[in-house]
Amino acid sequence: MEQIGVILLAGLTNGSVYGLVGLSISLIYGTNRVINFAQGEFVMLGVMSAILFMVTLHLPTWAAIGAILVVVVLAALVLELGVYQPLVRRGAAPLTIMIGTLAAAIIATGIALLIWGPLQLAVPNVFSLQALNLGPLMTNAQQLAIIGVFAGLLLLTWYLMYRTSFGLCIRATGVNPRIASLMGIRADRVVRFGFVFSALISGMVGILIGPLLGGQVGMGVTLTVKGFMAAILGGLGSPFAAAAGGVMIAVVEALVAGYGSSLYAEPIIFSLILAILFFRPYGLLGDFEAGRR
Amino acid sequence: MKSLNTARSMLAGPALILLVGALVPLLLTSGFHLRLVTIICIYTILCTGFNLLYGYAGQISMGQQGFFALGAYAFTLLMSAGNWSFWSALPAALLICAGVALLIGIPLLRLRSHYLAMATLCFGLVFAGIASRWIEFTGGTAGMMVPSVKFSGHIVSRTELYYAILLIMVLVLVMQNFIVSTHMGRALMSLRGDETAAQSLGVNVTAWKLRIFILSSVLAGLAGIASAVVNRQVNPSFSEFPILVSILTIAVVGGLGTRYGALLGACVVVIAPQGLAAFGESETIIYGVCLLLFLMFMPHGLSGLIPKLFGRIRRKAASPAPGVVKAGEIKP
Repeated sequence: MEQIGVILLAGLTNGSVYGLVGLSISLIYGTNRVINFAQGEFVMLGVMSAILFMVTLHLPTWAAIGAILVVVVLAALVLELGVYQPLVRRGAAPLTIMIGTLAAAIIATGIALLIWGPLQLAVPNVFSLQALNLGPLMTNAQQLAIIGVFAGLLLLTWYLMYRTSFGLCIRATGVNPRIASLMGIRADRVVRFGFVFSALISGMVGILIGPLLGGQVGMGVTLTVKGFMAAILGGLGSPFAAAAGGVMIAVVEALVAGYGSSLYAEPIIFSLILAILFFRPYGLLGDFEAGRR
Repeated sequence: MKSLNTARSMLAGPALILLVGALVPLLLTSGFHLRLVTIICIYTILCTGFNLLYGYAGQISMGQQGFFALGAYAFTLLMSAGNWSFWSALPAALLICAGVALLIGIPLLRLRSHYLAMATLCFGLVFAGIASRWIEFTGGTAGMMVPSVKFSGHIVSRTELYYAILLIMVLVLVMQNFIVSTHMGRALMSLRGDETAAQSLGVNVTAWKLRIFILSSVLAGLAGIASAVVNRQVNPSFSEFPILVSILTIAVVGGLGTRYGALLGACVVVIAPQGLAAFGESETIIYGVCLLLFLMFMPHGLSGLIPKLFGRIRRKAASPAPGVVKAGEIKP
């Protein structure tokens, strides 16, 4: 009984991370129908710049967090202005733009490699890593903060999307950017907001997950892939479905690792996703979005 | 008359490549250079499959490195652990690649094309994880040795291996040209344009997507086997991210949807790093930047330059009405 509690807590922690990456991917997809292959790199940038600001430059924690978020927002703007916009202006197909974002991910990894080197680095923690007893469970403040931030960001995204007029603009742009423009919505700004907001989310994920995963410049792809798995399993059409997909994946991963071997976790999840797509092509919680152009 | 022309266009290029390729070993002095040329052939096989899938049919797989490694591992395991002969291990490994591609393709190819891209990237990473962590079966990060290929007691030399791989590459190019210049090519290109329109014209969209995905996976597996035999070992780096980066760079730099783009791109990507001394550290950045610049400014890659060049010469000679020939509109 105790073991299952530990497993579920670990699943929920990782699930918060996968869920937030999946949510970010789905948010960008929701505004412009492009899959961002560089989403994990935002997390990587968050983790690595935490090392830069907290260890190398000894900034106070709050200033460091601010600086990290500035870095990821700048990275998002570079991606949007330097990769997305030029490709759209040249009339590139969504798939080409997708490869463009992958190229951006490759460049980001390459630059990070020059700055931080290939080794795994320790990342300073914002919250305490001291063991904390929560009933029968052992945890720590950092872990609880991840879950708390996950819940908070979900709520914020939901409020933004469904309770504000700007959220209506976002959803309208997702349905049809041209018609949204005719209705007076600045579709290009909505797209830019999508990039910046999802980068902010990923940057926060980076600050929180860094101490638990360690910082390595190649970590971005792994996280992007987890985010993809979350989004495909849950449903790409809705950010919340993608977030739920992330939690599901992490719980399955933790269960397989806890009762079997972590070696089987990824292949099992991958086959599970393929099997589920066979019966529910748009994801477990997905709607009609996936079939639409 | 028309069919004669088609046959000529199908065979002339590969025949020329075969001729040049056959002469290359006579000009090279060191084993290292021969190795580079062999690697070019391997990458060409790998990227021809990718080009058929993405360049012609508009379906993108980011898991080709997974199939590259799957072919190599399946072949090596069948040869060393299963004690199979070369001639039975080779087709069996290719069949395994086709089977896995079928399993992945059936649920994904009914959906829009970015699902394939996302899920195949997942496949590549999952395979890399298995290859490096299932130590007792795959040898872990150290990988496995590949037994040298013998035919009736005669160990195949490097040069003979090169000629074999060159021949395979030329056959793959002939097959590609055949596919592209027949009704199959037109069916594939119709997928790239508009799936609904293709369907209304009687193209079985899902079936064609599945066929071309399986073909490209089998070609990736074939390249993986060739790479395993040449390197005499397999390891998880076969399935890792840098291979995908190379595939994309080769395909985009060479020219997507062109017949010899894969070969051209492979030459550039394999030879260019040799000339630059300080390439090592910043290799990833250079690949990424090249990829991006070509996507933006030269969507037809280096192959796109050739018709442009010819177009200019022809225009000078005949001086037709302005705007008749645009480089982008010339059929590859």
